[in-house]
Amino acid sequence: MFNRALDRLEEGLVASFMAAATLVIFLAVLHRYSLGVSWLWPYTRAISFTWAQELCIYLFIWMAKFGAAYGVRTGIHVGVDVLVRKLPARKQRFFVQFSLAAGAFFTFVVANLGIRFVLFVHDAGQVSPDLEMPMWIVYLAVPLGSSLMCYRFLQVLVQYRRTGALPSHSYGAVE
Amino acid sequence: MSGIIIFGLLFALLLTGMPISIALGLTVLAFLALVSSLSLDTISIVSQKLFTGLDNFAIMAIPFFVLSGTFLATGGAARRIIRFATTLVGWMHGGLAMAAVLSCAFFAAISGSSPATVVAIGSIMLPAMLQQGYPKNFSVGVIATSGGLGILIPPSIVMVIYGVSTSESIGRLFIAGIVPGIVMALALLLVTYIVACIHKFPTLPRASLREVWQAFRDAAWGLALVVVVIGGIYGGLFTPTEAAAVSAVYAFIVAVFVYKELPWKQVPKALLDAANMSAMLLYIITNAILFSFLLTTENIPQELAQWIISQGLSPWMFLLFVNILLFFAGDFMEPSSIILILAPLFLPVALQLGIDPIHLGIIMTINMELGMITPPVGLNLYVASGLAKMGLTDVTKAAAPWILVVTAVLLLVTYVPQISLWLPNLLYGTPK
Repeated sequence: MFNRALDRLEEGLVASFMAAATLVIFLAVLHRYSLGVSWLWPYTRAISFTWAQELCIYLFIWMAKFGAAYGVRTGIHVGVDVLVRKLPARKQRFFVQFSLAAGAFFTFVVANLGIRFVLFVHDAGQVSPDLEMPMWIVYLAVPLGSSLMCYRFLQVLVQYRRTGALPSHSYGAVE
Repeated sequence: MSGIIIFGLLFALLLTGMPISIALGLTVLAFLALVSSLSLDTISIVSQKLFTGLDNFAIMAIPFFVLSGTFLATGGAARRIIRFATTLVGWMHGGLAMAAVLSCAFFAAISGSSPATVVAIGSIMLPAMLQQGYPKNFSVGVIATSGGLGILIPPSIVMVIYGVSTSESIGRLFIAGIVPGIVMALALLLVTYIVACIHKFPTLPRASLREVWQAFRDAAWGLALVVVVIGGIYGGLFTPTEAAAVSAVYAFIVAVFVYKELPWKQVPKALLDAANMSAMLLYIITNAILFSFLLTTENIPQELAQWIISQGLSPWMFLLFVNILLFFAGDFMEPSSIILILAPLFLPVALQLGIDPIHLGIIMTINMELGMITPPVGLNLYVASGLAKMGLTDVTKAAAPWILVVTAVLLLVTYVPQISLWLPNLLYGTPK
């Protein structure tokens, strides 16, 4: 039940960040060109899109951090597995589990470093240049995304130990 | 010395089969924690880099290009481009195969990624070719190789990454890719034609001029993206990232409202797919930036550059060395991490030897194309084997002859810099 809700939340966030970033930049471009149209001038001059680039970058960073966690679940993070595949089944199982554990370990360390960094930025009271948003909220993407990714690695590891199946991404699934 | 430890560590971690991004990140952590004498404070730079590494508007062209590619592939643009290409070259020997190569070239001009091109064109063309009795090996080889045009013909995700990591103009790189892209497409068409003549592959009935025109008008909505992206960037209307965002919105409108092949219900799924793919790329990019930050703090690019120059290599020998190294790197790693790690290593030497950075960028891009069709880590091969339901070993054999064709074009472009530099120098003026 908890996992189901987490899955939906993750998918919803990732897709919305993508759509929002696209829309923001598209509107900013549209706005820049509409400034040249004289009869639109009274309406457009009041709006400013100087913050668009910054917002787009932040949206995509959040998208990237949570999307990377989603990617663990869909098996899109590829590695060089040619050698491992040639090994006998038992050793292969060992290396698959080792890789997943390494992923969990790395994301765990990054999540911890991320928390320390967020606390540091919080105390420094830094704000972003255009949006004037507190930077610690923006940087929260690192510990949150990395923790979720760590959880996903552990989830896949447990699933692999139980069923021997790994998620695998199929590129042909587009159509 | 530290260079050997760093790359040795990376190599060992890669061989365990863990994701490339994780291997890059762990190498940095392990080196900082175990080998270097840096304090823990420096380690917390790691978490900062994981964020600030991406804090760059130019990189954001990548998710936008991925999104626009997804809309184009699912929204019916690919199918119409294939129909147009078929009316143009279908009547020749091996008509369907020729059309496949040409469709890949057209699709490459509106999409920035190779695997996306393979999927978009291959998922339609592969079944069609097999049905017409083309040998499976030949069909898969043609599609996997032509799909590589996706990163050479602008727009190109790989060029965006090269531009970001070397601070070169992305617009200039895009323009520089046009002529080499056309040369590569012509070479692939020529080889396909010769093979088709030898094996007497079937031809299709010749299309009337009227049919060609109708197919063109139908495909024009999708093809117009070439004008939006290249015209927009060259004309100074948009930055490359803005062009990518505009093309994503344009592709969405074409897919949903003009071709009406992408129902509203499918839009969230398309967004999620594009986000999944771009998050994977961005995650690799973040970790590769971290890795290359470690190389820089350890002074490795400078040391390597000095060493290479002290060997007294002439420019052509250096370029040969670059090609060989990239060929092997391309076999093991994924393009964006290779570019982010190696471009800063090559650039100082290239500059000293008087090699144009734009030229180097095109050489690296073609090498990435080659890497995508060479085992063991050839992304295009994986994609094609998925589409053809063939084992990876068989697909590898199928692509083998094509590696020679791409290598021939690579050497041509490497040693005739004018192929890459003529057009950008003509349009933007010679640098300096």
